[in-house]
Amino acid sequence: MRVSYYPGCSLEGTAKPYDLSVRQVCRGLEVDLEEPDGWSCCGSSPALKMNRLLSTALSAHNLALMERQGLSDVMAPCPFCFRRLKSAQEEIAEDPLLRSRVETIIEAQTNGALTIHNVLGFLTQKVGLEAIREKVTRPLAGLKVVPYYGCYAVKPPSVTQFDDPENPTSLDEILRAAGAEVLDWDFKVECCGAGLSLSKTEKVVELSGRLIREAKWRGADAIAVVCQLCQANLDMRQQEIGSMDHKDYRVPIVYVTQLLGLAFGNSPRDLGLNHHLVDPLAMLKEKGFL
Amino acid sequence: MLRLTGAPSEKNLLDQVMRRSGQNLLECLQCGKCSGGCPIASEKVSGPRRLIAEILSNMRDEALTNPTWWYCVSCGTCMTRCPVEINMYRVATALCEISEEFGVAPSEPDIHRFEDLFLKSVEKYGRVKEVRTVAVYNMVTKNPLKDVDKALILMRKGAMSPLDILRGWTKDPKVSRIFSLARRRTEE
Repeated sequence: MRVSYYPGCSLEGTAKPYDLSVRQVCRGLEVDLEEPDGWSCCGSSPALKMNRLLSTALSAHNLALMERQGLSDVMAPCPFCFRRLKSAQEEIAEDPLLRSRVETIIEAQTNGALTIHNVLGFLTQKVGLEAIREKVTRPLAGLKVVPYYGCYAVKPPSVTQFDDPENPTSLDEILRAAGAEVLDWDFKVECCGAGLSLSKTEKVVELSGRLIREAKWRGADAIAVVCQLCQANLDMRQQEIGSMDHKDYRVPIVYVTQLLGLAFGNSPRDLGLNHHLVDPLAMLKEKGFL
Repeated sequence: MLRLTGAPSEKNLLDQVMRRSGQNLLECLQCGKCSGGCPIASEKVSGPRRLIAEILSNMRDEALTNPTWWYCVSCGTCMTRCPVEINMYRVATALCEISEEFGVAPSEPDIHRFEDLFLKSVEKYGRVKEVRTVAVYNMVTKNPLKDVDKALILMRKGAMSPLDILRGWTKDPKVSRIFSLARRRTEE
């Protein structure tokens, strides 16, 4: 299977483990990821906040590049890129005036025919859980994980058109297919503080702190994530959260694709598991997965 | 007590926000489900319900300086739960655009500064250079050592390199052109 792959800026910057593990998992599943030449930033939250036309134009620029690849499906692991691309395609389709303004700005045309997936949708709907199960050679039996979806992959439902916005299950299903024990918890879609990481660090410590405490209380060995912003906030701010509570939490924050890659038999290094602040390797060794 | 007289001028802000955001704020029931689930609402940050009330009541200064729309991370929780499906992050964009046009100083300068630096990086290089943007932000906010301890650990683990700050000066003229054309069209 060949699909267009839109990594987004973070995956070639601070979230290389996500990119590495997505590529490993897709190789295992015989999926060819084709990156469009010259892709750019989707504008992310700053463009979405500050200038609607610019934000839509940046996404449309990338959609036009991907349409030229001649592939029907796009996979964007970053949930913000996913939601922004999907939303822009829809906004342009619904509003002829916006379309003409955007096409003037990007000096290209878009036909709006792409099917845009995030990692969860791609794995559950396009690849299928059965195909995933077939590739599992080292099931993660006994590994207790809480599934953390964050916001952008599922909310708001009218934009993402994916899974349930309050109690999604796709990540649970993938983790179970990898053999892990999925724990129930109440914070599947609670916000981690997202892009306020630098400008309002105390807010991120407050919001991410709720997640870390709950995961610990539930007895999780790790929190499985699908968003590099969630990963960064939960990983980077654990020290502050811990010192506030006078505790050393040390809950590893791992991407779903890193866990899936492990179950497929990939080495931890190839999956970037050695690149997190809270080290997942010690826990994985203790549990007998390494 | 604030009392609206029904004069057409009282609808100026509401009209502008509704036109730019495409959201019909007149449908708002003021039920408060939005602010109840809003992750950034606090004692200091009102959340969406009050912000909409300010727009409906023509409280222009209050609405344009309400920190809610600067704090908004577009998580989409309010829209998910809103009985009339108002998309608040579109409302936030409208307020941000109006504030800029009328020269209203950002009520949350740090959030504004970060978002501005982020977009400057995209405008020049086509993609945001994350590590460099963070470094510049910490410098201009006079907090140059913020998170340096964590950056050093990540560098030791090989997760990032000090060269990341220096690497990638290739410009993307196509994206710069999109920025300038979009600005021109927005002003029209």
